[in-house]
Amino acid sequence: MSGFKYIVETKNLVKRFGDVIALKGVNFKVRNNEIVGLVGDNGAGKSTLVKIIAGIYAPDEGEILIKGQAFRRLTPQKAYELGIVLVHQERTLSENHTIWRNIFMGRELTGPFGFLRIKEMRDTATKLLKEIGLKAMSADTPVKYLSGGYKQGVQIARALCFEADLVILDEPTVQLSISEVQRVLEYVLELKKRGKSCIFISHNIYHVYPVADRFVLLDRGKIVAEFMKADLTPEDLSHIMVSIARTGKIPVEYEKINLIRGGQE
Amino acid sequence: MKRKNPASKSFGGIVVGTFNKYKLQVAISIIFLLLWLIFFAMNPEGFSDPATYAAITSVAPFTIIPALSLTYVIISGEIDLSFPSVMALGGWILAVTWRALGPSPLGIILALLAGLVAGMLNGFLITKCKIPSLIATIGTMFLWRGVVLVATEGFSIPLGRYRGVLIYQALVGRIGSIPMQIVWAVIIAVVLWIFLNFHKFGAYIYYTGDNREAAKMLGINTNKVLMYVYMLHGVIAAFAGILVTLEMATFWPALGEIYLLKSIASVIVGGTPVTGGIGTILGTFIGGLILELIETGILAVGVTGFWIRLVHGVVIIVALIAQVTIREREIRRMRTIMGIG
Repeated sequence: MSGFKYIVETKNLVKRFGDVIALKGVNFKVRNNEIVGLVGDNGAGKSTLVKIIAGIYAPDEGEILIKGQAFRRLTPQKAYELGIVLVHQERTLSENHTIWRNIFMGRELTGPFGFLRIKEMRDTATKLLKEIGLKAMSADTPVKYLSGGYKQGVQIARALCFEADLVILDEPTVQLSISEVQRVLEYVLELKKRGKSCIFISHNIYHVYPVADRFVLLDRGKIVAEFMKADLTPEDLSHIMVSIARTGKIPVEYEKINLIRGGQE
Repeated sequence: MKRKNPASKSFGGIVVGTFNKYKLQVAISIIFLLLWLIFFAMNPEGFSDPATYAAITSVAPFTIIPALSLTYVIISGEIDLSFPSVMALGGWILAVTWRALGPSPLGIILALLAGLVAGMLNGFLITKCKIPSLIATIGTMFLWRGVVLVATEGFSIPLGRYRGVLIYQALVGRIGSIPMQIVWAVIIAVVLWIFLNFHKFGAYIYYTGDNREAAKMLGINTNKVLMYVYMLHGVIAAFAGILVTLEMATFWPALGEIYLLKSIASVIVGGTPVTGGIGTILGTFIGGLILELIETGILAVGVTGFWIRLVHGVVIIVALIAQVTIREREIRRMRTIMGIG
């Protein structure tokens, strides 16, 4: 992992949907082995930004650098090949099929003539499930029978299995029970432990705070502030978010730790 | 905490994955056996006679063979209504080639190639022109039927004089009293079953039908998958057309028409839902046998053939109710086990 400073870097991304400008020149970066908490109100442009990174939307202006390689736009396939995995609420699972099939979906292990190496995939899946704490879950269970948290777990297991370098979690904790949120946060820390990078989108500061290294605050299509976790408490972050929602500005007392204004970037 | 820890119930998870898959097939087989028992009770003599089974197995393959590849199409979330016309196209090309050159393998190769082209056209219309498969294949259904009608001017082509030839025997001859066409049906079923369950292609067919968006996001070229599925289906439909033509020793321009709904019904009775994503080859095979058993059985017990459609209708409805019930109970049972009620 050398030769590039950031796993993802966007330069002046602009995205319009008709008259609405969803992103107004966004410069966003993720370092190697860093968990970035991407926070902001509804309609701030968080999902649009990550969908561009994952190749689902094409930007109208600007470019995307993945591991130092510049792209005008990506396709989902291309992003996937470059090691970017988007974990979306239940969207990338084949519900009627087993956990092991879902983990290897699109990247099956095959032997001669394209036949599946089923035993190997099943064993690997079982091992992975154990590693991320789904010990007793059989890899043969169809995904449709799993609860929301476990479905997230299967998608994260898939990302781990493919040695994805950047895992994007778009609101992974919505609609989950308290214990399931805890489980998802553990998966995220597991990603970090294995040297992966992660973008974690959430409304809920108390979900994103424990796992993120750095917070990027998006408001109405612009990055308004960036903070290192060490510089603030969850209460500070909450306070800043409320202020942005009300006035569109961060409180003055936090300006000195804001990485954007502080000129550290 | 109300929620049960699924980890403590690992047993259910292990069992269900495999059991759920075969439960439907068991139900379909039970329907088949029940029907057989009813017919047997009504005409024990007829149903003890091997000739009855020879009759069923000589005609059933014409419904079953196109239904097998149609299962791939339906699992991938699409439909094909053009295969009866492709059967006619294949039969016609075989007939004209043989009339011109005698009974050579070339006739079969050309017929299968025609099926391939017909499948490619379907695939092209659906994946490149983005026409929904229901509409696209209505178009090609008329197109290929039209080609055959124009070319033959509605006349039949007799092929009876080639009956003794080896190639003829290999396709629709008899081994003892076993018709070769049922052997072909079994071979095709086994090959398609293997590919569907143990090959990457089969996995991609399932994902294309189950969650196409996800499949695309994960780098699966679903258009290519659909293209191959339609090409395969075209070739197999043409092959079925060859078999029908040879079994009847005549090509006639309306060939294949009666198999449209019967083959689709075989797939549906066999437990493959029209919504795609799941389904089995074995189910389709038994589904086809059920429909043919009804046809032969009704005639054998001595009521008029008018009853056939009625009983088909009843059996299809019963099979569908059974499938829905099994699936829903399975979901409820699993939810209880996993604690996500």
